Amino acid sequence: MNIIECRDIHKSFGDKVALDGVSLEVPKGRIFGLLGPNGAGKTTMIRIINRITVPDNGTVLFNGAPITREVVEKIGYMPEERGLYRKMQVGEQAVYLAMLKGMSEREAVSGLKQWFIRFGIEDWWKKKVEELSKGMAQKLQFITTVVHKPSLLILDEPFSGFDPVNADIIRKEILRLRDEGATIILSTHNMESVEELCDNIALIDKARLVVAGGVDEIRRRYGNNDVELVYTDADGRHTEVLPRSVNGSDTLAQFVGRGVTVNSYRELMPRMNDIFIKLVTGKEEKR
Amino acid sequence: MKTRNIGVVIRREYLNRVKKKSFLVITFVVPVLFVALCCLPTLIMLNTKEAAKEISVIDRSGIVAPALADNETVTFIDKSDDDVDAVKALVAAGESDALLLISPMDVDEKTVNAETYSLKPLGIDMTENLNRQINDAVEGYRVSSYGIEGLQEIMDAVKPHIKLRTITLDEDGGETISESGVYMMVSMLLGMVIFMFVTLFGGMVMSGVIEEKSSRVVEVLVSSVKSIELMYGKIIGIALVAFTQFLLWIVLALVLFVAAGAFLPPELMSSVTADPAALAGVDGLTEAVPSEAGIVLSTLANLPLVKILVSFILYFIFGYLLYASLYAAIGSAVENEGDSQQLQLPVTIPLMLAFFIALYAFKAPDSALVFWGSMIPFTSPIVMLARIPFGVEIWELALSLAVLAVTFVICAYISSRIYRVGILMFGRKSTFKDLWKWFKQK
Repeated sequence: MNIIECRDIHKSFGDKVALDGVSLEVPKGRIFGLLGPNGAGKTTMIRIINRITVPDNGTVLFNGAPITREVVEKIGYMPEERGLYRKMQVGEQAVYLAMLKGMSEREAVSGLKQWFIRFGIEDWWKKKVEELSKGMAQKLQFITTVVHKPSLLILDEPFSGFDPVNADIIRKEILRLRDEGATIILSTHNMESVEELCDNIALIDKARLVVAGGVDEIRRRYGNNDVELVYTDADGRHTEVLPRSVNGSDTLAQFVGRGVTVNSYRELMPRMNDIFIKLVTGKEEKR
Repeated sequence: MKTRNIGVVIRREYLNRVKKKSFLVITFVVPVLFVALCCLPTLIMLNTKEAAKEISVIDRSGIVAPALADNETVTFIDKSDDDVDAVKALVAAGESDALLLISPMDVDEKTVNAETYSLKPLGIDMTENLNRQINDAVEGYRVSSYGIEGLQEIMDAVKPHIKLRTITLDEDGGETISESGVYMMVSMLLGMVIFMFVTLFGGMVMSGVIEEKSSRVVEVLVSSVKSIELMYGKIIGIALVAFTQFLLWIVLALVLFVAAGAFLPPELMSSVTADPAALAGVDGLTEAVPSEAGIVLSTLANLPLVKILVSFILYFIFGYLLYASLYAAIGSAVENEGDSQQLQLPVTIPLMLAFFIALYAFKAPDSALVFWGSMIPFTSPIVMLARIPFGVEIWELALSLAVLAVTFVICAYISSRIYRVGILMFGRKSTFKDLWKWFKQK
C-alpha cells in the first residue's frame, strides 16, 4: 500500500523545467529517501506533495485518493530553509504552528508539553525563540513538525545544523515514529544516513526520475556483484573477493572441503554515495 | 479559503502586536505628541522671546530716532552724531547688536530709507517691529506736517476695525456661525491622520511579511495554510490592531476632553453644548460678538461629525485594505526592508501625492484637482477625508467608495498572486519584471 503516489508530475517555472514527468511511489510505514543533487527538483517535488505548489500536470494520490486540503493536516513538513518567529515565545510559537495543523489549543499544549519533557526542554516554554541556540531551535522545529501526529512526515535535510548528539536523537525519533506507523520522506545529501535509515529511495536528477526502489535492491543492482569471503587456515586469516558469477554454495563447499574455517561470506555492496555520484555524473568515483 | 485557519492567523497577528510594549507606548505617546505638536507653535511664540537687543541708531532724517520706543526685546541708543564706519566697527566687534541707519528724508519729504547692519541676521519679529516703528514715525511726521490740530486723533478715530464673520446657511434656513480656519484645520487633520494610519499599518503588513520571509518560517506556514489565508489573516489581524488603537485614542481623547472641561471656564464649554444657532444670534449683527473660542467650538460642533466618522472608518478600511494588499505583495518580494525601497515607489508616490493634495484641499475644496483626487481610488481615502468638512454630496461619497472597493478587489487579486510565489523566492533581489512573472505563473 502506498501512502503517496505521484503520477507523471510536470512543473515549470517560466522556461525552467523543474519536474519533467516524475512518478513516485512512497510505501506506507517506510522511510523513503528522496535524493538528488542541488537543483534537481526535490524541493519542488516536496512542495507539490505538500500542496504548497500546484503541478502543471499530473496527480498526487494520498492513500489512493487525490490529495485534498484536509490531508495536509496529516502531513508534517520540515523544510530545508526553516525558521521560526524570532520574537515569539517558544511555547506560543509551537502552539500556533500546531493549531495551524488543526489541533485545538488544549491538544496542542498537552501534546507539546509531552514532547518538551521528552527532549528535556520543558524550561524553554517562556523563552523567546531568538534566545535559543541553533541546535535548540532545530529541536523545537522538529517538535512542531511532529506534534500533530502526522501520518506522513517530510523532512528536508533534517540533520543539517545538529551536532552529532542531537542528530542521533533525531535519528532515533525518526525510527521510532516509523515503527509507530508513520511514513517518512527524507530528503538528504547525507548518504550514510540514507543507507542507515531508508527502506526505499528515489533519485531525481535534472527534473527526471533516475532510479527508484528498495535500497538493498539498488545497491545490488549497481554493484558488480562481488562476494567477500573471510576464512582462517593454518597460515592465518584471509580475505578473498570472488566474482558473484560463481555459484555461492559450490564455492563455499569448495573452501569448507579444504578444511579452512569460514569466518564470513557476504555480498559486497557499493556505497550509496558511489551510486549517487555514478548516476549523477555518469562515471564512477575512484575509491 | 478556510475560515478556521484565517482565524488562527488573525489571532496571532493581533495578540502578538497588541501585547507588545511598543503598542502601549504608541497608544499613549502619540496623542501626547499630537497635543504637543498643536501647542508647540504657541509655546514657541510665548517662550522664545529673543534676548533683548541693543540697537545703535544713526538717524539722518531727524524724525525717526525720537519716535523709536524701547520694549522688552530692544533698546535703542541714539548715535546719530557718530560716524557710520565707527558704529559699524562697534557692531562688528560685538559691542552693539545692530546698526539701524536711517537716510535723510527725500526731497519731497515723503519718506526715508532704512538699513540695518548686524553680525547675525535679525529675527523676523525684530525686523517687523523696526519696520512698523519707522513707518509710524514717518506717518506721524507727515500727519503733523499738515499743521491741522487734532488730525492724528481724527485719523485714529476713522481707522475701521472690521472682522469678517462667516455664517453658513442650511436648507431649513438655520444659520451657523463658523470659522473657515477651523474647517481648514479639520480638513488638514483628517487628511493627515488617515495618511498616517494607512502608511503606518500598511507598513506594518509589509514588515510582517518580510519578517516571515527572512526568518524562513513562511515555508512551514504555507505547508499548513494557503498563502492567501496567511496574507489575509495578517492584513485583517493588523486592521484589528489599528481599530484597537483608534478606539483607545478616542477613549483617551474623551478623557482629555472631560479633564479639560474641569479646568476650562464653564461658559466656554457650555457654548459647545448650547444650540449653535443661538450663538449666531437672531440677528447676528446686532448681538454681542461671541468669543473666538466660542466660535471655534461652535464650528466644530456643527461639522457633519457623524458623516466624518463614518467616512473616516469606511475610507480607512478600504484605503488600508488596498494599500495593505499592495504592501504585502512588495514585502513578499524582498528579504529585508532595505531592499524594499525601490519596489515601494509605486505605492509611496500616490500616497504622497494624496497627502499634498489633502493638505491644500482647504484652499479650493471644489476644484477639479481635489474632486478627482477624491475619486481616484489610490488618493481618494486621503483626499476625500480632507474634503468632507466642506460638505460632500452623498452620491460622491458612494461613487468614490464603490470605485475604491472595486480597485481593492482587483489589487487584492493581483497581490495575492504575486505574494503566493514571492514568499518562497529566496536569495535574490526581485524586480518589477519578476513580480509580473510571478503574477502570470500558474
